[in-house]
Amino acid sequence: MNWRLPALIVGILAVLFVALTLAKVNPIDVVTTLLKGSLGTPAAISATLRETTPLLILGLAVFLALRAGLFNIGAEGQFVVGALAGTAVILRIPGPAGIVLGMLFGALFGALWALPAGWIKAYRNGHEVITTIMLNNVAALMTTALVAGPFKDPKQGSPTTAVIDPSSRIPNLYSNPPVNLNATLLLGLLMALGLAYWLRKTVAGYELQAVGANSTAARFAGVDPRRVTLRAMSASGGIAGLAGALQVMAFEGRFYANFSPGYGFNALGVALLAGGNPLGVLPASFLFGMLEKGGTSMQISGVPKGLTTVLLGMLILIAAAIRYRRVRVVA
Amino acid sequence: MQGITKRFGAVTALDSVSLEVAPGTIHAVVGENGAGKTTLMRVLYGAIRQDEGTLEIGGKPVRFANSAEAIRAGVGMVSQHYGIIPALSNLQNLILGAEGGPVLNLREAEARAESLARRMGFKFDWHQDATELSPAGAQKLEILKLLWREARIMILDEPTAMLSPADSDALFGSMRQLTVEGATVILVTHRLPEVMEHCARVTVLRGGKWVADKAVTDTNPTDLAQLIVGGALVAHEPPPARPPGEAVLSVQGLVVRGERGNDALKQVSLEVRQGEIVGIAGVDGSGQRELFHAVAGVSRPVSGTVGIGGADATKASPAERLRGGLRVIPEDRHAEAVIEDWTLEENSALGLQRLAPLAKGGAVDTGARANWAKAVAERFKTKHGGLNMPMASLSGGNQQRFVAARALEMDPKLILAFQPARGLDLKGTADIYQAIREKCDAGAAAVVVSFDLDELLEHCDRIVAMNNGQIHFPPPGQEKDRDAIGRLMVGAA
Amino acid sequence: MLEFVFLTITLATPLILGAMGGYTSERGGVINIGLEGLMLMAACITALVSPGQGPVVGLLAGIASATFLSLLHWLATQHYRIDQVISGMAINALAAGGTNFLYGKFNDPSRVGGIPALPDDLYKYSAFLLPFALALYVQRSRGGLRLLAVGSDPDKARLMGVAPIRVRLLGLLATGVFTGLAGAMLVSETGVFTDNMTAGRGYIALAALILGGWRPIPTFLACVAFGFFSALRLRLQGTPILGAELPSEVWASLPYVVTIIALAGFLGRNRTPAGLGKH
Repeated sequence: MNWRLPALIVGILAVLFVALTLAKVNPIDVVTTLLKGSLGTPAAISATLRETTPLLILGLAVFLALRAGLFNIGAEGQFVVGALAGTAVILRIPGPAGIVLGMLFGALFGALWALPAGWIKAYRNGHEVITTIMLNNVAALMTTALVAGPFKDPKQGSPTTAVIDPSSRIPNLYSNPPVNLNATLLLGLLMALGLAYWLRKTVAGYELQAVGANSTAARFAGVDPRRVTLRAMSASGGIAGLAGALQVMAFEGRFYANFSPGYGFNALGVALLAGGNPLGVLPASFLFGMLEKGGTSMQISGVPKGLTTVLLGMLILIAAAIRYRRVRVVA
Repeated sequence: MQGITKRFGAVTALDSVSLEVAPGTIHAVVGENGAGKTTLMRVLYGAIRQDEGTLEIGGKPVRFANSAEAIRAGVGMVSQHYGIIPALSNLQNLILGAEGGPVLNLREAEARAESLARRMGFKFDWHQDATELSPAGAQKLEILKLLWREARIMILDEPTAMLSPADSDALFGSMRQLTVEGATVILVTHRLPEVMEHCARVTVLRGGKWVADKAVTDTNPTDLAQLIVGGALVAHEPPPARPPGEAVLSVQGLVVRGERGNDALKQVSLEVRQGEIVGIAGVDGSGQRELFHAVAGVSRPVSGTVGIGGADATKASPAERLRGGLRVIPEDRHAEAVIEDWTLEENSALGLQRLAPLAKGGAVDTGARANWAKAVAERFKTKHGGLNMPMASLSGGNQQRFVAARALEMDPKLILAFQPARGLDLKGTADIYQAIREKCDAGAAAVVVSFDLDELLEHCDRIVAMNNGQIHFPPPGQEKDRDAIGRLMVGAA
Repeated sequence: MLEFVFLTITLATPLILGAMGGYTSERGGVINIGLEGLMLMAACITALVSPGQGPVVGLLAGIASATFLSLLHWLATQHYRIDQVISGMAINALAAGGTNFLYGKFNDPSRVGGIPALPDDLYKYSAFLLPFALALYVQRSRGGLRLLAVGSDPDKARLMGVAPIRVRLLGLLATGVFTGLAGAMLVSETGVFTDNMTAGRGYIALAALILGGWRPIPTFLACVAFGFFSALRLRLQGTPILGAELPSEVWASLPYVVTIIALAGFLGRNRTPAGLGKH
């Protein structure tokens, strides 16, 4: 039995334990607060699911890129660009047509925002981590400037667009305040199923994963890695942009400065934890959603919310270490 | 070196091999790929330890735990794959690992380097990046590295593989200079003309065994070539008369640029017809790999054409060639043929993923693929723990069986194989070649690259030899003549 | 005018220190996108320790914390062979959450006054000397040569008797020290610690490293340029330029856009260390 992996897990837990003890925090209390805060009441579950929704779709976006061997850290930027683009469209075209167009434009602009990073990686071998992070920063700055300037609602003091028409909002599947279940969650679920199908059952999905797993073998198998890289990155950005537009239409109702509380970065964690199957994004995003919501409750009880992020960081390390174990030769 | 034996698992790479080299001489060690030359040198260089046998330097027994100890004892190797780091300067490459202290005294180092270089008649711009080095220059720097570390025994492994005749001559001039100063040079090579012209003695290895040790004056290239490839143990019949079929592969004037800017393929032309199995013999690095990649579509030639199935495929992508019936068994299984993390079933479609019945339109027919994977696994009796297990769970030999079956079972028109039976025993090898024969009888054609001449002689219809980027055809009637091909391989003809 | 120069220097200093930390890591072949987290952790620990133990101990504690995280990155990537990008992002997450937790739990809100700090000049002089010192180190010392070798081709370096894993250990230790200095400087300069106060400086430092082609002096210049644009943004916020009111965000975006263009290969050749990410 290889001692390395257990040693890592034990080491991590030990450090965590020591830190918590020094801070006079009871680990059991932490866990119960997290659970109660995220799942304890119907209202809590509803809020958790609301957090889960954008994480789910963004998680799928990053997951797709990951399967192609790409780290799309730019989901954050693609998310806000798509959100703003979608908002701009919906404000002009209300109603169901606006919803559809908003989604399309959100996806389009998200894809466009990922395109430079994809091209640079595919044809110049420039690492996509840096280009996407840079694009994130530009997206944040640009959307802030736009929403404080040309897109600003003149009736408002703070940098925000006008609120979208009620007919442009994605309806709730179930609504009994404070419990709401928005249709977007169902959409996300369908997307997860769709992605799972696409990856397993289409030639394009097969070839994309081949490039991500072993681009040399993929070349011998007749796949052009550069084209696949470019397409994968764009598609990933498109899904992230779509997530942004949906966020506006389902929950926020408008676009404003600092629109995203870091969903894009969490999406990377979601995708990493999901493992090999896109359906894994469902529980992973739910876990993140739980920690988001539960963390707030934890905060109220005196434990800083950052602890949840620490837990997630550790989970990611352990998940990554597990992935790199060696396979035993059986025949 | 006396009675050196070295085993790697079930394979005996060296079987009681002895080598005696006189000081101040240039001594050649010759043999085919897999004969054990490099292994023997690696023992001498301390990179590996022998299982049996003794090592003596200057009359004193030695035992090296690692190459650092060998270096300290004065042994150095200039290897075929240069240990030069392009991003560093020439001087930096020279002193790396033997800097002489935490602080570098560059002026002193440069002075010493310059004096060493001048002794050998070399000239270097010490602060230039090593990327600018020509293959000849890299070789010279490697030699200086040995001198820097005061090596007395210098092993040169295929030093002239990438050199022009002029550079080769210059290199041997330097080696003579070294021996005049008392160093000993061991030359591992395939090129018999070099042996005849520059060496004092030559040792022949074959199949891990010592075959002969002669003074160069007592032998000649024909004699040596025969010793290297062995006497004709089994008479191979001349190729059976076959009705000439259509040309399936037609390569014309192919020129491919190598990594160092030289021409790895020089005006290579080859035609392979339906029903033929053509073997490409040659020592590693003669250009077979580049030819293989060019035909597979993975690399682009500088000039020349490739025709597959009668149509010009020079600009066709690998996918198009696969659709046209090209089937490839690549050289490097791990990097080029399989995806270790994927299941056997998923791997079974690699290369064939767009073809019916595995795909209908853009969709994957997982049922058909499952059946296909089963058929592939059964064809050569691949032992596995389940088709849903990852490829990495298979041993090398079983992976090879799987990859070969995958290439052969789905309508191959042109079979392109690089060591198709790598890692397999005699029975496994026979099975695979039998399958290739069957497919060719049904109208396909096959090109097989191998470093094992016996394997090619046993299974191919005719054999061509590659040497130094060029292709050589044996005289008519001698397409399966061991001596003739052996000579072409080592450039002795 | 002079004041603007000082502002530029102040803003560039943590970038320079962070970028030098990135240099000792990446020049040896270890991808390190966790600079942000390292700086953040150092800032937090310095802020927590200084009030009680004095600024010197606070600084040392901050450096120690960054070094600890840096060693974690070394362990994860070199021993466990975890993907280097994932490890870096995980460290950023650990630092973001960890600093939030530690500061929330251990900070005494009732304490009055700013955090005792060492004079800014310490950091500024370090930042301006360090690039030149590193450039010299890499050219003139055995350790420096080995760092270059290991980052260019770890396999061949191994053949020459150099152990990549050990060279990288020293490199990542240095990363911890330099990013520790950077983080401590942020706190000493502002007098407080706030959540995510590094605000992306770690990523900018990495961008500067790339823009500078993984060489100390050009990287230093890139950091100064980034500092310049940051200062420009601060000074020009709200004031109309060139007749039209060009949002400050345009200036602020410039460094990022330039980095992207550089990576696309439009600004000279690709100088990525050939051994980056390899074992």
